[in-house]
Amino acid sequence: MELREVASAPSLGPLFARAALSQKGRGGQLPSHGLRLARLEVDRWRLLDYQHLCRFTGGDVLPHTYPHVLGFPLQVALMADRGFPLALPGLVHLENHITVHRRLTTADRLDIVVHAADLRPHPKGTLVDLLTEVEVAGERVWEGRSTYLRRGRSAADEQGAAPAGGAGAPDMPGGPPAGLLRVPEDLGRRYAAVSGDVNPIHLHALTARTMGFPRAIAHGMWSAARTLAALGPRADGPSSSSVWFRKPVLLPSTVELLVHDSPHRAVAGLVSGRDERREHLVLELHT
Amino acid sequence: MATTAPRRAAVIGGNRIPFARANGAYAKASNQDMLTAALEGLVARHGLAGEHVGEVAAGAVLKHSRDFNLTRESVLGSSLAATTPAYDVQQACGTGLEAAVLVANKIALGQVESGIAGGTDTASDAPIAVHEGLRQALLSLNRAKTPAQRLKAVSRLRPGQLVPEVPRNVEPRTGLSMGEHMAQTAAQWGVTREAQDELAVESHRNLAAAYDRGFFDDLVTPYLGLTRDQNLRPDSSVDKLSKLKPVFGRGDDATMTAANSTPLTDGASVVLLGSDEWAAERGLPVLAHVVDAQTAAVDYVTGHEGLLMAPAYALPHLLERQGMKLQDFDLVEIHEAFAATVLCTLAAWESESFCRDRLGLDAPVGALDRSRLSVNGSSLAAGHPFAATGGRIVASLAKALHEKGSGARGLISICAAGGQGVMAILEAA
Repeated sequence: MELREVASAPSLGPLFARAALSQKGRGGQLPSHGLRLARLEVDRWRLLDYQHLCRFTGGDVLPHTYPHVLGFPLQVALMADRGFPLALPGLVHLENHITVHRRLTTADRLDIVVHAADLRPHPKGTLVDLLTEVEVAGERVWEGRSTYLRRGRSAADEQGAAPAGGAGAPDMPGGPPAGLLRVPEDLGRRYAAVSGDVNPIHLHALTARTMGFPRAIAHGMWSAARTLAALGPRADGPSSSSVWFRKPVLLPSTVELLVHDSPHRAVAGLVSGRDERREHLVLELHT
Repeated sequence: MATTAPRRAAVIGGNRIPFARANGAYAKASNQDMLTAALEGLVARHGLAGEHVGEVAAGAVLKHSRDFNLTRESVLGSSLAATTPAYDVQQACGTGLEAAVLVANKIALGQVESGIAGGTDTASDAPIAVHEGLRQALLSLNRAKTPAQRLKAVSRLRPGQLVPEVPRNVEPRTGLSMGEHMAQTAAQWGVTREAQDELAVESHRNLAAAYDRGFFDDLVTPYLGLTRDQNLRPDSSVDKLSKLKPVFGRGDDATMTAANSTPLTDGASVVLLGSDEWAAERGLPVLAHVVDAQTAAVDYVTGHEGLLMAPAYALPHLLERQGMKLQDFDLVEIHEAFAATVLCTLAAWESESFCRDRLGLDAPVGALDRSRLSVNGSSLAAGHPFAATGGRIVASLAKALHEKGSGARGLISICAAGGQGVMAILEAA
């Protein structure tokens, strides 16, 4: 695969604008090249802001989800490009899978490669995977797979394709809530400040409405990170996680954290609504 | 009823993060972040991941109200078993040492087999409170039941109340800063500028040498880019320090500068304590044992005694109980709140009238061989994140005594706000 070097993490505002202006007339094949950001040095203060916002302990250890945040601008750069077959605005993050091969710290210089794979039909449209691979001095230390859905006419056989709730997702844990997360109205803006993701659906009710949401919605990867943080430091070391996103968390709101824990496997979920229950995500962590 | 004869608690090890100058490398780190980092380093070094520890006692002097359960929250964020109980301790700058004494006493009584004591403080991520007028108005509003009461509460709001209350390093009862108090005591004892600067230079030189010989390799875990204390200046010299302007005291006689006073600092430290059996079961070597401890307090409010002189009063009790003389200690650690604190304390012990009139002793405590004093540097060089200083000193003194050999004894003296002092004796295992 051809890798194109990126000198520094691109700024997401202009990329989102470019993607929005060039969303018409997309199609064809996935790009054959990937993007590479070499020897990235983590900004400690930005990391601390991220750790505090997601409720990880502030320090030198990179949270399970942090390399995703570092690689996300490359994902957007790849997808914003006119040659990418799916239009970026309205793309829905359906699943995210992460494998941490070893504990990472701010001392590590990260080589991050992002490429797209497996464009495939889905009952509600088309799916694509964005793969993020992180190496330190040639050693594979972290990998992530983000699955996005472009809603639209589907080429998939409605009967045979994967269910919308996510194939392989564990059952939502039952029982009383392990915790209540109060998600404030300004979360989207605060997460944008630490992650660089200025997607308008997270920023404000007004900008979210233009994209068809009643209010701004929490960033899925914040919700996933917050859920992992609630499970303690075990996900810092070698571990793997999968998260299946369902209904978005509207801002502000109070959501219940549900946990089913066993020695090497934890399942956690976020739900809300007293009368009509809304499932936001279900997450599985193996350690 | 089963009873356990007191035994001596063992100091097994310690860990701290390098101390940072306020608004320096740890400007964005919280007390909980730093205490957790110190704990995690200790856990990693002693193989305690997933282990249940008898209890963790630690604290912070400058504390946010949301940190009401700071130590327990830090334990839950660490790799220690979630079944490890914890509680917060607060005795100003004596916090860390007092926490170690509390844990050691529980071990001595057989109430726990192991424990961790420590402290953390940040002068950067300080709690800022709302103006007292605004606070009172908001509380009235909260109590109000009728629209008229609410209106009355709201009518008490004033624009000037938007100015927040920032914590200040002053004694609530005197309104004087700790430095001003110390300057008065220093003038009273005639402590010279040169003597203070020499002590400060010695502290930097000793701390730098200890780092250079690897003394802190198993006592310090790097954090947020620091591997050594940010305040450390190995090339400090009396000549350089003599050029600084005094910051505390008045007139031409002022002697206290930014260099011979400790700066505001951020950091955290913890110490691992346990019974000998607990340590042996885990194959952990014992560095030292906690022999005794004593606290004291003085009446500084009326000016009867200097704010930071309480440790001078604690010592005779320890010496009498242990049948020791000051000169019997192989190593002595006197926390350098200010260089003048150390010098005034030493001068007081040498003074026949002070020892007779204030301490009620027949003969003066006498002079201390300065080559035994803070041999690996102290707060002037390392900095002084209030509650973290006790843990720093206990761990490094235990290790230094262990290097000297079994039976070596060391004394720790820490002065604290409110006219208090905490002392402890360690003995090499």
